[in-house]
Amino acid sequence: MTDTLLFKGIDEPGLNTIDVYLARGGYTQLQRALKMKRGDLITELTGSGLRGRGGAGFPIGKKASFIPKGDMQKYVVCNADESEPGTFKDRELIQKNPHQLIEGLIIAAFAVDATINYIYIRGEYEQQADILDAAISEARDRGIIGENIFGSGFSVELELARGAGAYICGEETGLLDSLEGKRGNPRLKPPFPANEGLFNGPTLINNVETLSAIPSIIELGAEGYAAIGVKDSAGTKLVSISGNIERPGNYEVELGISSREIIYGLAGGPPDGRKIKCWFPGGSSTPVLTADDLDVGYDYDSIEAAGSMLGSGAIIVVDETQSVVELAYKLAKFYSHESCGKCTPCREGTRWTFHMVERIKEGTATPMDLDIMAAVQEQIIGHCLCVLGDAMAMPIGSLIAKFRDEFEAEIEANRNERERKLAAEFAAAEVEIEGISA
Amino acid sequence: MPRPTEKLVSLTIDGNEVQAPAGMMLADAALKYGDVEIPVFCYDAKIGPPVGACRMCLVEVEGIPKLQAGCSVAVTDGMVVHTDTPTVKAAQEAVLEFILINHPLDCPVCDKGGECPLQDNAFGWGGGLSRFIEPKRHFEKPLALSPLIAIDRERCILCYRCVRYSQEVAEDDQLVLEERGADTFVTTFDGHPYVAPFSGNIVELCPVGALTSRPYRFRARPWDIEQAGSVCTLCPAQCNVSFSVRDERVLRVLGRDHEGVDDGWLCDKGRFAYQAIHVDQRITEPLMRDGGELRPVTWELAIETAAKLLSHAGAKTGALVGGETTNEEGLLLTHLVREALGSNDIDSRPGGALELELLRALNAPTLQASVPDLQYAHAVLLLDCEPVDDAPILDLRLRKGVRHHGVKLLIASSRPSALDERAAHSARFAPGCGEAFAAALGAALAGKPSASLAQAAGADADDVAALAAQLREAGEEVVILWGERLTAGPRRNEGARALLNLADELGLDGRDGGGLLEIPSGTNSRGLRELGVLPNASIGLGDAPTVGRDSQQIGEALAAGDLSALILLHSDPLLDQPSSELWQRALGKASTVIAHAAFLTPAVLEHANIVFPAESYAEKEGTVVHPDSRVQRLRRSIARQGETRAEWALLAELAALLGNDPKALTCSMVSARIFDQVPFYNGLSLDLLGGVGIRWSERQAAASFPGAPSAPFTLDPPPAASSPNGLLRLGSFRSIWASPEVEASPALAFLHPRQRVEISPADAERLGISNGEIVTVASNGDSVNGLAQIRANAPVGTVFLQSSIPQQSAALLGGPMVEVKRA
Amino acid sequence: MADVQRHVARFTHGSRIPGWDRAADLEKEPAVVPDAATTEVPGELRAAIEDAVRRFPVGDSAFIPALYAVQAQYGWCSPEGIEQAAAVLGRTPAALTAVATFYDMFEMEPLGRKSVYVCTNISCSLVGADQLLAALEEELGEDPDVNLRGFECLGACDIAPMASVDGVYVGPIELGEVPELANQIRQGDDPLPAKQLIRRPCADPKVAEQ
Repeated sequence: MTDTLLFKGIDEPGLNTIDVYLARGGYTQLQRALKMKRGDLITELTGSGLRGRGGAGFPIGKKASFIPKGDMQKYVVCNADESEPGTFKDRELIQKNPHQLIEGLIIAAFAVDATINYIYIRGEYEQQADILDAAISEARDRGIIGENIFGSGFSVELELARGAGAYICGEETGLLDSLEGKRGNPRLKPPFPANEGLFNGPTLINNVETLSAIPSIIELGAEGYAAIGVKDSAGTKLVSISGNIERPGNYEVELGISSREIIYGLAGGPPDGRKIKCWFPGGSSTPVLTADDLDVGYDYDSIEAAGSMLGSGAIIVVDETQSVVELAYKLAKFYSHESCGKCTPCREGTRWTFHMVERIKEGTATPMDLDIMAAVQEQIIGHCLCVLGDAMAMPIGSLIAKFRDEFEAEIEANRNERERKLAAEFAAAEVEIEGISA
Repeated sequence: MPRPTEKLVSLTIDGNEVQAPAGMMLADAALKYGDVEIPVFCYDAKIGPPVGACRMCLVEVEGIPKLQAGCSVAVTDGMVVHTDTPTVKAAQEAVLEFILINHPLDCPVCDKGGECPLQDNAFGWGGGLSRFIEPKRHFEKPLALSPLIAIDRERCILCYRCVRYSQEVAEDDQLVLEERGADTFVTTFDGHPYVAPFSGNIVELCPVGALTSRPYRFRARPWDIEQAGSVCTLCPAQCNVSFSVRDERVLRVLGRDHEGVDDGWLCDKGRFAYQAIHVDQRITEPLMRDGGELRPVTWELAIETAAKLLSHAGAKTGALVGGETTNEEGLLLTHLVREALGSNDIDSRPGGALELELLRALNAPTLQASVPDLQYAHAVLLLDCEPVDDAPILDLRLRKGVRHHGVKLLIASSRPSALDERAAHSARFAPGCGEAFAAALGAALAGKPSASLAQAAGADADDVAALAAQLREAGEEVVILWGERLTAGPRRNEGARALLNLADELGLDGRDGGGLLEIPSGTNSRGLRELGVLPNASIGLGDAPTVGRDSQQIGEALAAGDLSALILLHSDPLLDQPSSELWQRALGKASTVIAHAAFLTPAVLEHANIVFPAESYAEKEGTVVHPDSRVQRLRRSIARQGETRAEWALLAELAALLGNDPKALTCSMVSARIFDQVPFYNGLSLDLLGGVGIRWSERQAAASFPGAPSAPFTLDPPPAASSPNGLLRLGSFRSIWASPEVEASPALAFLHPRQRVEISPADAERLGISNGEIVTVASNGDSVNGLAQIRANAPVGTVFLQSSIPQQSAALLGGPMVEVKRA
Repeated sequence: MADVQRHVARFTHGSRIPGWDRAADLEKEPAVVPDAATTEVPGELRAAIEDAVRRFPVGDSAFIPALYAVQAQYGWCSPEGIEQAAAVLGRTPAALTAVATFYDMFEMEPLGRKSVYVCTNISCSLVGADQLLAALEEELGEDPDVNLRGFECLGACDIAPMASVDGVYVGPIELGEVPELANQIRQGDDPLPAKQLIRRPCADPKVAEQ
C-alpha cells in the first residue's frame, strides 16, 4: 500500500484553516497548474486515469475535455450532496481538509476556463458547510479566489450553495436544477451538462473526492498517479464502511485491494464473530454481494464482473442476524421517499414496491407477491429518466434473486403470525359467524 | 431569426422509410409522416421542449442500447426506429400499469370519458391487466381550483402539462407541484384560486379528467355533442375556436389550433364567455321604447317602425359601427346609410377619422407583420398597447418568442405592462403621448436630437436612447406591435405620421419577418376599414365621393341637432367612445336611436327607440379580417336563439323598405360581392378561406392596394405633456374583462372589473392614501370612485383608471389632469 | 363485532397525503407576485434574501437561501414569510412553495424550533436506529419546542446509530444515553460532547501512523 494521498495528515489539528494548510505546502499544486497550458492540464488529468468518485466512475479527463472552448460562461460545480446511504467519505474530506477540495476545484476550473464555480453541499451537513464557508472566505481573503490569482491572469469565483434535504440532488442534473433554485428534478439528457448545464452554460460537475484528488495528480504527475491502483482503476479510493462492522469509518485504499481485506482486515468484520449475510459494495443502490464474493478485488471492473458496482465506494455490511425483508423495506421506503416524482416508473414503482414489502411485514402477502415485486423491479430498470428508480430496483431485485427462500419463509411466518393474532382477536371478542368455525 | 427548418432527413420507422424535417421530435415525425402513433402523455409540442417525464413513448432506436423516449429524440438521417417490438410493448405496458395503479376507474362519471388520452392509450397500448391489489388513493373530489376549474387529484397522472403551462407558457407561475415523489400534487399557493387570463387552457391540456371545466362539468358526454369550427370575435385576436354544441346550445369552447393566429391557446374570456349566448338578459327579440320602457314587439312592427323613423331622418342619420360587425354586415350597412339614406356619416373608428392617405400607408400590404413574426423577429417593440388586455392571445405569443426564440422585447407604454418582466427594456410616457414618444424614438434612431421630444412625451430621455440602441442592435426583423390609441384622439394624424416615420427609420417596408402589426380597438376593425365603413373612404379604401362626419363629429352634430337619427350597430358610444359627456348630450338630443345589440348596455338601455337583437358569434355567418390581414370565415354553429334573425338580412330588408334593395339573397352572396369589390381581396372565396383563412397581403391581388404617400413625413412638434403640478395625469385602459359578455356570463361574472385607481407609492404617500381604500378621482366637476391600488411600478405623477365599464368609468372624466383624494 | 361498520367513508383510508384534499378558497384573490409597495418585509429577512440574490445573481438561485431565511425568521416556511420572500424576489409565492415542499429540511407547518433528526436508514437501522428513535420519542415526543423526526441517511454511518441535533452530529448513541441527550436537547446544552462527530479521529490506521 502506498502512502495516503487524500487523507494525508487529515487529523492534523487546524488543517481546515488556511495557515496550517499552507504550512503543509497547500496551494503549491495550484500554482504549478496555473503555469501549465490548459490543454496540457487536461491531458495530465486524462493520463492520471482518475475516474469520478461520485458513483458513475466516468474518467475526469474525458469529462473535462467535453467542455467546449469559447467565450461563453463556463462553470465547475462540485457535487457535495453526499446522500447515498452508507457514504460519508466526502463529509470527512470537507470537514477536515476543505482547502484540498478548493485547490482541486480551482485547478479544474482553470483547466476548463470556468470563472464562476459552485460547491453544492447537502443541507444536513451544517457544520461541514460552515467550515467550508470559512475556508472559502479565507481563500478569498488571501487572493486565492478572486481576480488574477497568483498573477496568472486567471480570475475565479467560488460560492457555496446549501441543499435542503433531497437525495435526488446528488444526481448531477437534479443538482443543477436545485442550484438554479428549482425543485431538484433530473433533466432529460442530452443535452449533457458539459454542453448545457448550469444556467445553460457548459458545466463540469465532479464529486468532492474526485476534485480533492486533483492536487495529488499535479504533485505526482499523471504517470505517478496512474501507477497507483490497477488497470482502469487508478489511484486511491476512500471507502466508507458501515453496518454490522467492528470498526466503521473511512479508509483510504489502493484500488484493487481485496474486498475481504477491507471488510475484515481494516474494519474488523462483523462484531461477535457473526457471519456476513450480504454486503453492498458501493452504497445502498448497488446490487448486493454475498459472503461468497469477499475475495473480489475492490476496483471498478472486478466489482462489475461480480454483478454489482463500485458506486460511491461505500460498503454496508449486513450480518446473518438481519432480515432481508427488513432490508428491502428500508430500501423501498428510502427510494420511494426520495423519488422526485417526475417520471412514472420510478414514482409509481418505488411506492408500489414499498407497499408490497409493507404487506410482507404485515403478513398479508403471498409468494405470488414476490413474483410481482420482482417483475416490478424489471419494469423499472432501464425505463426511467434518471438512475434513482434503478437504484432501488437493482438491490431489491438482487435481494429477491439471492434470498428468495428467506423472503418466502418470512412471508409464511408473517402470515401465520397474523392469522394467529386475528384468531386470538376473534376469540377474545367472542364473535360467532355462521359457517366459519374457529 | 431562424424559423423551423425545412431540411428533410430519411429514417426508418417500423420498416417503412419516412421523410421528416430534421430536428423534429420522433413522436411528431412518426405520427405526421410515418402514420405511426407513438403514445404520449406529458409531451405536447405547444407547451415547449419535451421533458421526458411520463415514459409512455419509449421506443427502440437501433444502435442505442436503452429504450429512448420518442418525445425527446430528434430525428436524424438514417435513424432506424422500432415501435412494436416485444421490448417496446413490454415497456409501454409497464408504464401504463404504473400510471393506472392509482388512477380511479370512474370513467363512467368522468367528463373526459370518451375523449380521454389515458383511455385511448390504455386501449391501444396497455396490457389490460393490473397486478396492483393495494388500496388506491381516495380523496375528496372534485375540489375547486378556481371558480372556473375543478381538480380531481385521484385522477391526476402527474404528467406536468398544466404546471409547465402555467410556468412556461402563461408564465403566471400560480400553478405548481408541491411535495415530491408519489406524494406530488398539483396546487396553488396556500389555497388561493388559480385565476389568470389564460387559466382555462389547462383543462384542454389535461390528458385525464383531473382538471375539468366547472361550467361544462356533467353537461354532456362527447357523443352527445357536435364540434363546430368558427372564430371567436370577442376581441381582435380572432382565435380559432371549436364550439361544442348540444341541442343548439354552446356548451363549451375549445381551441382550434392555428399557428398563424392563436398557437392553440385561448384566453378565459374566449373559453368561457360563450355562456353569454344563453343567458336571460340577452336580447333575443326586437324591443321598442314605449312609455319610456323598452318592450318586446313583433319583428314586423320593429322593422316597419325603424324604416319609418329612418326614412323620416333621411340624410340626417349617422351610424356607429362596432368592431364585432362582420364584413357582410358592414357592407350592407354602408349601403343602407349611403345609398338608401343618402348620408355619409358612418364610422367604425372611435374618436375620429384618420386621414385616408395615412390609413392606406398604415395598412399597406408590404408593411404588415404577421402573428408568427412576433415569435421569430429579432425584436418586437410594443408601442402604446397592452396585449393581455387588447388582444390577449398575443401576450402568450410574445412570451414564447422571448423564452424560446430569443426575441428581444421592447416596451413603450404609459401604463406598466404585464410583459415588463420579460422585456429587454421598458419605457414609460405620459398617457396620450404615444405620438410624442414615437417621434422621439424616430429622431433618436435617425441620430437626431430627441431629448426635447422625450420631454414632450413625459418620458425619460435615457429610456428613449436605450430603446433606440436596442432597436439598432437587434437585427433587421423588427415588428412594431402598436395600439390603435396611438392614432386616436386629437393628435391621431400626427401619431400615424410619427409611427410611419419610425417604421421607415427601421426600414420595415417590404421587410420579411418584420413590419407593423396593429391591435385595433375592435375585433373586425381592419375589415370594416377596408370595406370603407368610414366617413372618408369608399370600399377598398378608395376615395370617398363625399366625405362625411366621423364618430366625434356625429356626436357633435347630434348634440347640435344637425343630425337626428343614430344607428348603433354593435356599438355603445357610452362604452366605446372617448368622451361620455359628449355622447350623453348627443344621445339625449337624438330623436331616433336604432341599436343592434345583444345586451342592454348603457346607451341602449337609456336611449334606444328600437333595439334589434344581435346575433351571437356562434350564430353568425360571414367574414372578418384579422389585424394581420388574414380574412377568416365565421360559420354558424347553432340556431339563432329566441327570435333573433340574421342581421345581414335585416340590414338588407331595411334598405329595401327604404327603396334601395341591395339584392342580397344569402350571406355568401354578400361575401362574394365583397371579394369582388375590394380589389385587393379579388380572387378570394369562402371555399378558399376554408377553416384557416388567408392573409390577403400575401396574395398577388395585394398589388392593387391603393398607393400611399411614403415616409418620412415632416412632423408637427407635439405639445408637451401636462405637468402634474400637484394634480395627477389621468391614464385609462380597457381590461380584458371589461365586456358585456364577461358581465353576462355567470362563470366569468366574478372577473368583471370594478374600478381600481392605480397609483404610485410616492403619490399615495403624498396624498395620504392607503392601499385598498376608496378614493375619489375628479376633474372639471366630474368624479368617479374606485379602490386605491398602490403599485410599486406605477409611474409617479399618473393615475390609471379603467374605461369601458358600465359604472365609474374613466370615460366619465375629462382629464387630462385629475385630483385624487380619499373618499 | 356487533357494530360492524357498514358504511365505510369514502375517504378514510386514502387521505394519507397532506395537501391532496386542499381546495382553493374562492374568496381569496389569486396569488400573483406580491407588490413590493404593499408588502412589508422585516428588515433582517430582506437583508438575508438580498444578500443571497447578490451571491447567486442568475435566475432563481436565491430561492433556497431565501427559504432558509424565512425559516430562520418564523421557525417555519409560513405563508406570510413566503409572501414576503416572494415580494423581495419578484416571484409568485407558489414558485417558492413548490421548491420548499420538495426539500425535507423546510417545514411547512409550525414545529418545534429545535430540530432533532434521527437517521433511520440502512446502516443505522442495522445497529438499532429504530429503537433509538423510539426512545427519543418517548422522551421528547411531547415537547412542543422539539421537532423530532426520523430522517433518511444523514451521511454519518460511521457513528451509527446517530442523530443530528440542530446540525450537530452525535453518535454512536447508546440507549442508556438517551435520557441524558434528551435533557441536553431540552436545556439547549451541547449534546453528548464526547460523542460528537466533529471530534472523531479518522478510522484509517494509516492516518494515526503518520
